[in-house]
Amino acid sequence: MKTVFVNPERCIGCRQCEFACAVAHSRSHDAATAPFETPRPHSRIHVGTGTTYNTSFPNKCRHCDPAPCVEVCPTSSMHRDRERDVVLADGHKCIACAMCAMVCPFDVITFHSAANGAPPRVVATKCDGCVERVSSGEIPACVEACKAGALVFGDLNELIAAGCARESSAMLTSATAVSLATREPDGVAGWRAWGASATHVNEEVRHGKP
Amino acid sequence: MASHEKLSQLSINNDARAMIARAREEGIETVWDRLAAQQPQCGYCAMGVSCRNCSMGPCRVDPFGDGPQKGVCGADADIIVARNLGRTIAAGASAHSDHGRDILEVFAELAKGETSGYELRDETKLRSLAEERGIDPTGRRPNEVASDLAEAMMEEFGTAKGHLSFSDRAPDKRTKLWKTLGIDPRGIDRENVEMLHRTHMGVDNDYVNTLLHGLRTSLSDGWGGSMVATELSDVMFGTPQPVASRVNLGALKADYVNIALHGHNPLLSDVIMQAAEDEELVARARELGAKGINLVGLCCTGNELQMRKGLPMAGNHLMQELVLLTGALDAMVVDYQCIMPSVTDVAKCFHTEVISTADKAKFTGATHISFDPRRGYEIGKEIVSHGVEAYANRNPERVRIPGDTVEMMAGFSVEAILGALGGTPEPLVEAIKAGKIRGAVGVVGCNNPKISQDHGHVTLTRRLIENDILVLVTGCSAVANGKAGQMMPEAAEMAGPGLKEVCKALGIPPVLHMGSCVDNTRILTLAAALANYLGTDISQLPLAGAAPEWYSEKAVSIGAYVVASGIYTVLGVQPAIFGSPNVVNLLAAGLEDVVGAKFAIEADPEKAAVMIRRHIESKRAALGLPHLETKDVEAPSEAA
Repeated sequence: MKTVFVNPERCIGCRQCEFACAVAHSRSHDAATAPFETPRPHSRIHVGTGTTYNTSFPNKCRHCDPAPCVEVCPTSSMHRDRERDVVLADGHKCIACAMCAMVCPFDVITFHSAANGAPPRVVATKCDGCVERVSSGEIPACVEACKAGALVFGDLNELIAAGCARESSAMLTSATAVSLATREPDGVAGWRAWGASATHVNEEVRHGKP
Repeated sequence: MASHEKLSQLSINNDARAMIARAREEGIETVWDRLAAQQPQCGYCAMGVSCRNCSMGPCRVDPFGDGPQKGVCGADADIIVARNLGRTIAAGASAHSDHGRDILEVFAELAKGETSGYELRDETKLRSLAEERGIDPTGRRPNEVASDLAEAMMEEFGTAKGHLSFSDRAPDKRTKLWKTLGIDPRGIDRENVEMLHRTHMGVDNDYVNTLLHGLRTSLSDGWGGSMVATELSDVMFGTPQPVASRVNLGALKADYVNIALHGHNPLLSDVIMQAAEDEELVARARELGAKGINLVGLCCTGNELQMRKGLPMAGNHLMQELVLLTGALDAMVVDYQCIMPSVTDVAKCFHTEVISTADKAKFTGATHISFDPRRGYEIGKEIVSHGVEAYANRNPERVRIPGDTVEMMAGFSVEAILGALGGTPEPLVEAIKAGKIRGAVGVVGCNNPKISQDHGHVTLTRRLIENDILVLVTGCSAVANGKAGQMMPEAAEMAGPGLKEVCKALGIPPVLHMGSCVDNTRILTLAAALANYLGTDISQLPLAGAAPEWYSEKAVSIGAYVVASGIYTVLGVQPAIFGSPNVVNLLAAGLEDVVGAKFAIEADPEKAAVMIRRHIESKRAALGLPHLETKDVEAPSEAA
């Protein structure tokens, strides 16, 4: 089973995955014209902030199984494509009740007028695993856009095994190095250290210093 | 983080907090909302490894090492970071130097007698500047001398001369070093243009070479464009002398016409101050029910006027939207630099008229009144008149002016400081030698919403003066320290015993206001004077610089010229260099062996204070002066 896996420590918040996702789900599939289409294409991946400056996480549908959104959908709009093992939203059946969004553990279902093929009304919009791209041998648009290795596409267990090996190595190297699975390069570590320090200083001011 | 920060985290000031609370209540967007909306900000850009200098790109280098390591042209992270930093310095230096040129052009027209509202107010300084350039003023009329001086300075903007006269103020050791390194600034505009050339694809592909030119570019600002701005402003508007003033949003008066002067250039605002006293305009203000016309300053235009005339300051960079939220501001007059495009949006929520005045800095939604020095006074009156008429539209029920002002002192030009010392740096040098004053630090630069407003400036300054270090401030830092009550002679009580004794003897505060951000050149001039007095180089003196809350390209240029002049500098906000460990190593370590000074980056002002104190003690040790060992300068966690 191939899926999009996230290495959170690799995300540097550039949001290029969001842009690529919106383009991939536009009518034109062209980065130069997609932003000017009506309805405007929307990203289905959402880069959110961490607890300190300079940390971020690309949040998207995890295609859960069983999926809470599928369980609660009253019209069967939200359904599992067993063949490709992804959760899809059928805009023609969607009544925009938002039950799926309420139960989604990741809050990644949004409501928009869809660009390609869907009815011209606001319907549930979510990651479709780039099924069209994948079936023609491409990788999902968000993964293609990510040059930092935060989003990777592959067999879930293989990706987990690779992460597990890194984690083991890090644990063996230093029993205290538990915060991040892989050691950051010095530049990224310095960049993040300033973010943590600035955030900490602002927290101190909030709590009454000086 | 995010959009739900507590007010207390955004600013240390009660006036700011009250207005941010009002903005939230009324759904008015401010800089803090926009910062939250921008999170997360792009790491490629923040680490300096994205390049959009050509259309084979845009490119980026993966800082983790797995993805692309070179742009399409082949530039690696080192080259891309150096190119970007070089262009940042060139933009900052250009801003300062173009400001200097604007002052110089009016000065030249004044010399020809073609202006209205201007005069040569400091003829002593005019003569000494002329003599500095080999122009003999003896027996000549001031405007003739001014004309020759203007021409000589104009030559330094181009390449005709190939040398900047002001750089001769630096000690010989320093100017020789610059020549040896090939970073002696040759022309004010030239270095900026050359930086744009070098960072074009396929020109300078050696990051060290690019960064050395970055230093030269910044020197053309510090010892060139900015210094022209400072010195000629003194000749035209008066060299600052100690003056009492006030600061914070309480500077606005509910029953007066309030006009804020915002931006950086004193050319127009000085004339506006004259125009605000015009009897006709004051009478019209009274006719509309106001008691009179009240001018307040914002950012460095405000600092220029506060330094020379004691103009009360409404605030620094992050106060520019908040001053509008008082509902009591009738007009905001802007020139250029650091004026957020959002001011016209916030002004729309009130009756305030935003008036732009520089043809190179227009704002959608503002009234544009083009500045013309030949009709300076007339234009000044027209602008004030707009403010007076806008008063009639003010809704008194929406007026909320938080709190009372804090008293502060301004006006410490180099001339004023030397004057207070009795005309020679000797008493200051003796106090430093004896250890009463450990050293001096310029705490300068902007506000940045990533740091609690003014926390960096105020905390760092406080820790330094507590440890007998004299602090020199400019720009946003002066406003921050003024608001914290650290800029009155009485603030000597906050200082350590040695500094307190010196301040009390001279009747000065432990934190000296040296002006606007172009006036950082006053700090250079003072440092050079001290080094020359001692027959040494600036880099050997117990000095440091700090920009705890910097945000702008101009600040990068300032930081670079301060380090290139031999002064260790601590930045509170990281520049976009972390994508290249080589560039980081060069700026934070290697430069020490090149120019005798380096950069450090530290967000926490408590820690920055310790770093600076240790640096100053090490310089004292090298000079053979009484000093503390590094281990005896406590880190904050060790302190009580």
